[in-house]
Amino acid sequence: MKTNWLKLALAVLLVTAAMLFTQTSAAQSAPKGKIAVVVSTLNNPWFVVLGKTAKARAIELGYDATIFDSQNDTAKEAANFENIIASGYKAILFNPTDANGSIANVLKAKAVGIPVFCIDREINSTNAATAQMLSDSYSGCVKLGQLFVKTVGKEGEYAELLGIVGDNNTWNRSKGFHSVVDRYPGLKMVAQQSGEFDRAKGLEVMESILQAHPNIKGVFCGNDSMAMGAYQALVAAGKDKDVKVFGFDGADDVVKSIAEGKIVATGMQFPKKMAQQSAEFADEYIKGKRDFAQKIAVPVEVVTKENVGKYGDYGKK
Amino acid sequence: MRAVRWFIAIVVIAGVCWLFPLFHVVTLKTAAAEKAAVTFNATLFAETFWTNQLVPALPKCSPAEALIALIQTDPAVAKKKYSRGAGGGDSYFYFVSGAGKIIAVSDDEISIAVTAGSTNAEISLQTGLIFGNALRDGTGLLSPSDYPNSQDYNDISAALNHIVETSVLPNLKAQAKVGAKISFAGCAEVDDEAADLKPLKVVPVRAESNPAP
Repeated sequence: MKTNWLKLALAVLLVTAAMLFTQTSAAQSAPKGKIAVVVSTLNNPWFVVLGKTAKARAIELGYDATIFDSQNDTAKEAANFENIIASGYKAILFNPTDANGSIANVLKAKAVGIPVFCIDREINSTNAATAQMLSDSYSGCVKLGQLFVKTVGKEGEYAELLGIVGDNNTWNRSKGFHSVVDRYPGLKMVAQQSGEFDRAKGLEVMESILQAHPNIKGVFCGNDSMAMGAYQALVAAGKDKDVKVFGFDGADDVVKSIAEGKIVATGMQFPKKMAQQSAEFADEYIKGKRDFAQKIAVPVEVVTKENVGKYGDYGKK
Repeated sequence: MRAVRWFIAIVVIAGVCWLFPLFHVVTLKTAAAEKAAVTFNATLFAETFWTNQLVPALPKCSPAEALIALIQTDPAVAKKKYSRGAGGGDSYFYFVSGAGKIIAVSDDEISIAVTAGSTNAEISLQTGLIFGNALRDGTGLLSPSDYPNSQDYNDISAALNHIVETSVLPNLKAQAKVGAKISFAGCAEVDDEAADLKPLKVVPVRAESNPAP
């Protein structure tokens, strides 16, 4: 009987010691708590860089960080938020899937006191997120539009590949570009279709545009994945030397293609800078800061063959 | 008795539905009008902003002669003293006014020397098609944080540029002659210092030229 009691006491002691050890290890690995990084899609290298950089910076600042992939689906995004709210995260670094559809998720987090910091893509609200760090897509595409006119000329047919239609970036880029090119009546847009920010879709759409409009002189793409897809379609059609391709993002493969003279230009968005800054904002919030600017427009720079040497690795060298 | 109960139940249900209707019937015309009422009108906003905020702010412009002198000698000091930044990037803005002498006129620009005795183009008033956000972002009077949808904020730029093209440039282009004196106020965006500082490219808010003596 006495032996049984001793065994039981020893077991309790061991379990208690193991629990204490586990808690101490967890505390040592994440003394400040957990930060969630919710990314619209990990099917695009640009967003992978955005998510990984935000996660890495959060870990550097002393947090445990996890990336959640919304797969460009607001329902999946909502499920991610439910999971995050239930799991005791202290802040969310958020790349939304839909400017309107994502607001409800942000409000749910806000209701339980979890701050949300939007990165790159915005939500159409000024009282849901704590702060939104957004690429100034419009201004970047005004500059790309001016370069487009200079490169393609003031006359001729061209096409446009739009991104996801529910995303504000799609329209800010398109409107910035058109604020310039629409001023030149000789430039005629013969096709405007969504490639959903996706390389395979961009290729598919470009193939069909080329069949219907073989004389286009240029194509403006709402992101670099679609630009790479469009370029692939042009190579397959033997038109890569005739049609000027313009992208947007500053993805590494496009920056290399600009250096090689395959793609004319892109807009460098600095995803690493935005992701790092958002993680730092979350850290500042957790430490007590509350006065954040609601929307911060991060300038976009145009990358061309002339200045491509200054850019690489999703930013300035 | 049963009929009375039914009557009371129907009256209660009807009363609740009247107080808290399950749906509203709205004509398509009314719905369209309501939607238009909440849609941001960038043109109207820009016109009001121009009259009520931008023009009254012109006395706060940096003096062109002092700014140009600093740009010539030390652009970094000029930037520190007179510019305002945008979002943490490399580009920045000047909100500037001054007077000078027209030294060249083309379809897209009026070149002005503001330094006494200078014959160099130190200011380039932009008179072609106006693009970009110099007027929206150059004064510090507007902030993206005030607009739930950035598309509205961006539409303001296009509307302000339209006002310049339609209300400022026609008179200016008609008056501007080489050798004439000119006074001006406007905003300059500097993206690339090598290309944008010498001369400083200014989108005019106000510009008046007098014939050469």
